[in-house]
Amino acid sequence: MADYNKMIPTPDKFTSKPYWDGAKEGKLMLPRCTTCNKVHFYPRVICPFCHSSDIEWFEASGEGYIHTFAVQTRGSGGWQDDAPFVTAYIDLKEGDRLFTVLRGVDPDKPQEIQIGAKCQIEWDEASDEISVPYWRVVE
Amino acid sequence: MSSNPSKQAAIIAAAEADEIGYLDDNPKTSMMLHVEAIKNVTHEAGIKISDIEAIASPGVAGNVAEYLGLDPKWIDTTQIGGCSFQVQAQHMLAAINAGIFDIGVITHGEPGWARRTGALGGGGRGFGGGDPDSPGPQFEAPYGPAGAPTAYSHAMTRHMHQWGSTQADFAQIAVTTRDWATLNPRAIMHSKETHPYGGAVTVDDVLNSRLISWPLNLLDCCLVCDHGGAVLLASADIARSFRTPPVWIAGSGEAMDHAMLMEMKDFTATSASLSAARAYKMAGMGPEDMEMAMIYDSFTVTAGITAEMLGLTPRGEGPGLWADGNAGPGGKFPVNTNGGGLSFNHSGMYGMQLLVESYRQLAGTAEDGIHGIAGKQTNAKSLVVNGTGGSLSFTGTLVLTAD
Repeated sequence: MADYNKMIPTPDKFTSKPYWDGAKEGKLMLPRCTTCNKVHFYPRVICPFCHSSDIEWFEASGEGYIHTFAVQTRGSGGWQDDAPFVTAYIDLKEGDRLFTVLRGVDPDKPQEIQIGAKCQIEWDEASDEISVPYWRVVE
Repeated sequence: MSSNPSKQAAIIAAAEADEIGYLDDNPKTSMMLHVEAIKNVTHEAGIKISDIEAIASPGVAGNVAEYLGLDPKWIDTTQIGGCSFQVQAQHMLAAINAGIFDIGVITHGEPGWARRTGALGGGGRGFGGGDPDSPGPQFEAPYGPAGAPTAYSHAMTRHMHQWGSTQADFAQIAVTTRDWATLNPRAIMHSKETHPYGGAVTVDDVLNSRLISWPLNLLDCCLVCDHGGAVLLASADIARSFRTPPVWIAGSGEAMDHAMLMEMKDFTATSASLSAARAYKMAGMGPEDMEMAMIYDSFTVTAGITAEMLGLTPRGEGPGLWADGNAGPGGKFPVNTNGGGLSFNHSGMYGMQLLVESYRQLAGTAEDGIHGIAGKQTNAKSLVVNGTGGSLSFTGTLVLTAD
């Protein structure tokens, strides 16, 4: 972890603590509204679909699918030296979507990256407190 | 002034966050204070949060709306310090009087003490400053995004996948827009004399230009340069009393889809479909009545998608508006006659450049008018102009007409 040279997220301890607590243990925790049963991401204290405040957290599968992607030739927050790299939005199996840097793909061959490809989450220990998720194409 | 807005709107409820004061033991982020206040004020009035049609808050109205999953018709982020809320009340009064919406919220969430003491983390940044624990820095910034190209390229990849468009289709937008720039001596890309990369380009030139964020190449991306501009508005009663001709705001609309790209519902669609529908409705006109268009072109993909949203092409076929020279000089439907953000001038917020050129075209001053430019005057009497802000997040559409 000492060599993690990227920006390390600052948790919002009032809203996203369960997410980052889960991350530390290698678990993808997601918020779900118990009124309308929809999963939302990023985490909120109120459901963006039905405005219920009854939010529960559950451990998700860590499985997702590429919604869209792009190849970055420049980067910020420690990524400059990693270019080119592939960023992607991942449709979570349980619902809603998040952003990541995609692994298991060749940034020089974007034509070979398939939208809809199955991905699995993996965690980098960035510090004693924070593990950062990445997604790897697995098929 | 056509109608006095006095007493045409009222404050119907007021509330605060659950706890206010010195929240030493239980500090709240600014977003939590907003959300609590909005929950409480809607509860007090007996309405649902989803009944809110308009939102005002200094700087962050869009972020609060996204957090709540709202789809407002009117977004006011006016930030002029402590009096922002009074000013926003006047803005709402005018908008309600004009029939833009019926129910709006003015919201405030500011953990001034907790920021000063550092209770929210970050070591006490005092007043102002960013929130490192807000959603963007937590869930997007750690992955190295480098400005707007990082975001917009994802939309283009999705458009190519979903609608079968190609990089060459989008490149044609840059080619045609450059043709307009060659008629505009003040365009950065007017010629080799104005810029080493200036002058007419081909689709292959665009496709072979340096990769920025695949699938966007350098010539798919707007310029970054300097600009200053302003427009004057006057009431209909006096609009004809100046030495310059009036261009009428026949219709206007605004809308938003998200603040962060993560929350974009369809990566191939912006809220311009909503803002344009509102503008066309107010004008009593439709896309078929437009004689030209001024479309925000931060990237080729921005313009291509927006053409669809404005009803100028079927869904998925936006780049086709530029095919066969139709949108270029001498074409049947001129688009971005100044040379666009792609080749004329883009300073970061391109909306003023759009307004200035829209006025000149409809006022007939693009060719020989005040500070006009030779050779690119169209004879259009109506146009639709659309601005896009954020990461394909917010849109504002105007339908403008000449006498």
